[in-house]
Amino acid sequence: MKLGVLYSGGKDSTLALMKAQKYHDVVCLITVVSENKESFMFHTPNIDITLLQSQSMGIPLVRVVSKGEKEIELGDLKKAIQEAVQRFKIEGVVSGALRSTYQASRVQRICHELDLWCFNPLWLLDQVELLYELLEKEIHAVISGVFAEPLDESFLGKEIDKEMIVKLSKQQNPAGEGGEIETTVLDALIFKKRIMITDSKIDYARFAGTFTILDAKLEDK
Amino acid sequence: MILIVNVCRDKLSEMEFVRPLAMLIEDHVIVHYSKVKLADRTAAEKIIIAGTALKDFDYLDGKFSWLKKTRRPVLGICAGAQVIAKEFGLKLEDFALIGPQKVEVVKENRLAEGVFNAYFLNTKIVAGCEPLAMSNGKPCLFRIAEKEIYGCLFNPEVLNESVILNFIQ
Repeated sequence: MKLGVLYSGGKDSTLALMKAQKYHDVVCLITVVSENKESFMFHTPNIDITLLQSQSMGIPLVRVVSKGEKEIELGDLKKAIQEAVQRFKIEGVVSGALRSTYQASRVQRICHELDLWCFNPLWLLDQVELLYELLEKEIHAVISGVFAEPLDESFLGKEIDKEMIVKLSKQQNPAGEGGEIETTVLDALIFKKRIMITDSKIDYARFAGTFTILDAKLEDK
Repeated sequence: MILIVNVCRDKLSEMEFVRPLAMLIEDHVIVHYSKVKLADRTAAEKIIIAGTALKDFDYLDGKFSWLKKTRRPVLGICAGAQVIAKEFGLKLEDFALIGPQKVEVVKENRLAEGVFNAYFLNTKIVAGCEPLAMSNGKPCLFRIAEKEIYGCLFNPEVLNESVILNFIQ
């Protein structure tokens, strides 16, 4: 089956993509770039890095910019999926939804309206198990946002390795399912080249901060 | 041991609809509906028929005649509930319920009580059954008369694990 993956460039959508690839043909990535930092559905730091990720994986990217207004942004997602259907003949959509019924049900509704299969291979997966699966699949993700106490500036830009998993495991939502952390993937088994960050900045104040990639390039592995 | 009957056509759907049940139930065996044998059913104390993706309807052509003969308690979730309805001559009608919805228990039962939110991924409802609970004016939890066979049209593994735990106790 030809599938499109809703891709934010973070650990969950990358892991979902790799699971989907085991059984199906992932023909495109679908990214909604939200201009609204408060968007419930789409806001992710470093969303522009999906351009390099797409290039590295050799999977084309369908990219749509949304103003990120609540519920209206769902129309933008639908348009992006429709574009993927038209350009790449996808028969289904994969998301990295883990537990958010808000996000999952909205994607399910759009797929139902468009008569597409909808797959959520991480659904209800244990969050610590998910973090260890990243290591297993050689997904190198850095923390690109912290949004809850006690996660502070020291977490920003750090890779999720064994030591970090031990730290995150102490949190209520170790994989950040409650929005506590956001991540950006720099390398994975499916990446033909790794992403090298050449310029970045950290903004942080009172347990909320972001690690923004200002410039990056692909380099041989 | 609980037998979890997998009705998914696709491996990715199994991760979404079968694995979460397996995570909740320590002592279980998973068998695809096309391969369920008498020995699987008799070895189990209870049977759960899991759900599947919204676009998957292959299971409606499956053989579930064993449901009428089994003495084991059965809980059908979503697609599983549709299978039970079909096997016992109840009518399936198109009606989409997707996402969290309010559920109200209308008849005392051992699976659920009161009013609660439940997660639905369902495009068919069961008509002509005696409802144990309702949502949006439609039955969403029912029991086959004089049998320990239940149909649940929402996915309790998402927001209402107690429904599953009450069933397996």
